[in-house]
Amino acid sequence: MTDQTGVIADVRRGMIPAHVYNDREVFELEKQRVFSRAWVFVGHESEIAQPGDYVVRRVLEDSFIVTRDEQGEIRAHFNMCLHRGMQVCRAEVGNASHFRCPYHGWSYRNDGRIVGLPFHKDAYGGEAGFARKGQRLLPAPNLATYNGMIFVSMDPEAPPLEEFLGDFRFYLDYYTKQSASGIELRGPQRWRVKANWKIGAENFAGDMYHTPQTHTSVVEIGLFREPKAEKRKDGATYWAGAGGGTTYKLPDGDLDQRLRYVGYPQEMVDRMKEQLSPEQLQVIGDDGFMISAASVYPNLSFVHNWPRVAESDDVLPFISIRQWQPISEDETEVLSWFAVDAEAPEEFKALSYKAYLMCFGSTGMFEQDDVENWVSLTNTAAGSMARRLLLNSRMGILEDDEPVTPPLGPDAFHGPGEARTGYSEHNQRALLNRWADDLERPPVRAATLTVGAQGSGAVDDQGRTSPQASDVEVPGEAVAQA
Amino acid sequence: MSGTLSEQSALGAHASRVQRTGRSLPFDDPRHLEAHRWLVDEAWLLDAQGYEEWLGLITDDVHYLMPVRVTTALGAGYDTARGMAHFDEDKYSLSRRVARFLTEHAWTEDPPSRLRHHLTNVRTFATDTDDHLVVESATLLFRSRGDVREGSFVSAGREDLLRLVDGRWMLARRVISVDDAVMRMQNLAIFL
Repeated sequence: MTDQTGVIADVRRGMIPAHVYNDREVFELEKQRVFSRAWVFVGHESEIAQPGDYVVRRVLEDSFIVTRDEQGEIRAHFNMCLHRGMQVCRAEVGNASHFRCPYHGWSYRNDGRIVGLPFHKDAYGGEAGFARKGQRLLPAPNLATYNGMIFVSMDPEAPPLEEFLGDFRFYLDYYTKQSASGIELRGPQRWRVKANWKIGAENFAGDMYHTPQTHTSVVEIGLFREPKAEKRKDGATYWAGAGGGTTYKLPDGDLDQRLRYVGYPQEMVDRMKEQLSPEQLQVIGDDGFMISAASVYPNLSFVHNWPRVAESDDVLPFISIRQWQPISEDETEVLSWFAVDAEAPEEFKALSYKAYLMCFGSTGMFEQDDVENWVSLTNTAAGSMARRLLLNSRMGILEDDEPVTPPLGPDAFHGPGEARTGYSEHNQRALLNRWADDLERPPVRAATLTVGAQGSGAVDDQGRTSPQASDVEVPGEAVAQA
Repeated sequence: MSGTLSEQSALGAHASRVQRTGRSLPFDDPRHLEAHRWLVDEAWLLDAQGYEEWLGLITDDVHYLMPVRVTTALGAGYDTARGMAHFDEDKYSLSRRVARFLTEHAWTEDPPSRLRHHLTNVRTFATDTDDHLVVESATLLFRSRGDVREGSFVSAGREDLLRLVDGRWMLARRVISVDDAVMRMQNLAIFL
């Protein structure tokens, strides 16, 4: 691994070495130091609503079966048979009480416990040769949920999810808790783009500056009601805890009027008023800001927008949750879900889905132009010239690091963190600073697990491997030895 | 969930429910020849990105649907994502997509892609009415952009409902069964 100290120092002063968007060594470092410890989104409880429901999701190359067991508990099993390492579940979605490995027929309950081991007595001499009791598919080192969103961390010692998210939870609620029932997720659409994963995360975190240029066409065709895309700069950006995002400035009005302005029917407005905190409602009702795009470090983003969906002046809001899943330094798999409040009227759900499809996702008219830019950027970042160029990401601060615009005071913005109006790259810098923090920390030490030997390899209630397991330097990976 | 994919869609309520009857028509049946010609003409139009003219071939009650395909176990009984598609369009949303390409600011197609819709396995079915035909086809779209990246493909089967309107066949319903669960194209700023 080459020394990245210079890269990190440049990033910290807001000057980005262009090659970080297409550099194999940087990507290797990200695998070992970012994705080995961060909380990574793998799905939402609504995707696995019934016992036995499962989806298969990845964290980098590691495949996990994310399932609800017969007791209703949510689990993430490493998708590898304990015997020869075969992928146990090869579908991506379904319902199963058991998973049977197609290779030699070992089978597991959906809570991960091994139940079937063909010829256990004949082949292994029973428990004396292979201790089946207590063996289970390797759990994700850490799993937690917030508002039904399921995250895993590859680090058993990761700080609790809520601590990791920190004050960003305040903003996460707008997307995921519009009623007591929370959201339903549909999808995801999945597609691969030849772009580095960080670009999307940065863009959604705070890039209001690109909207008037990149998305001119969707304003021109009347999809977007806001008459001038330049209105973006009247919005506020905020950064709080593990994430940050953008907002639009709403026209004058009270809370109800402002929520209806973006297309929420009164019954949904009423539920939001019951569900959100006074401060969360004040950001909309008093401060006049409506959340739009956002990112949570490292690679999860959100968008909330309100286009026209028919020949009428009415607009309809939609929410999308998306993940920029890294494939390599120059390729990302995008997973893009449509999210909608579970208690919303069916007609709203249908039209909100239509709004999503028109704007974002694999066919979305906003997204089409974004991806074109990101692929092109990644392409250009591959060569030697990109190593000579430090991209200026200092928008919003002067040469002496003083801000161009002061943060909004507590009376102007009732949310936590630091918020300010106007175009800036404070949020992109905040995201990359966290990235730099991780890159500077030594890789996580992971324990190995020995399968089937007496007195070793037990997994405790927290899903951690037993103390007998030996520590080895395998950054970011827990290895099951079969 | 039951019914056709178009019926299952939350946005498909307006769509025609006319279905095929019987076996595929002989290849020398005039109805098949007309339907096949329509599809070939459409493929050339889509290659040339003649989207305004293409929109003129589409009925006002069109349902243009491309479900998200998912990998499921044999016997699961479904292979599309429930409640999610790539395209789930009516005439309005298609018209906005076309209008966007006609602006000078649809960057994803400036410079334009080189497109080739390869069309094959066309078969035609009669329906209960003389003015509707169901046509199935396979399509392979090759899309090439710029001079650095390799081109990309989308392979799909299609089931179309064609309707005779004032002596012209028009597309009244299209269900696209894409063969990838994870698309290998940067976006779907194309039509199939």
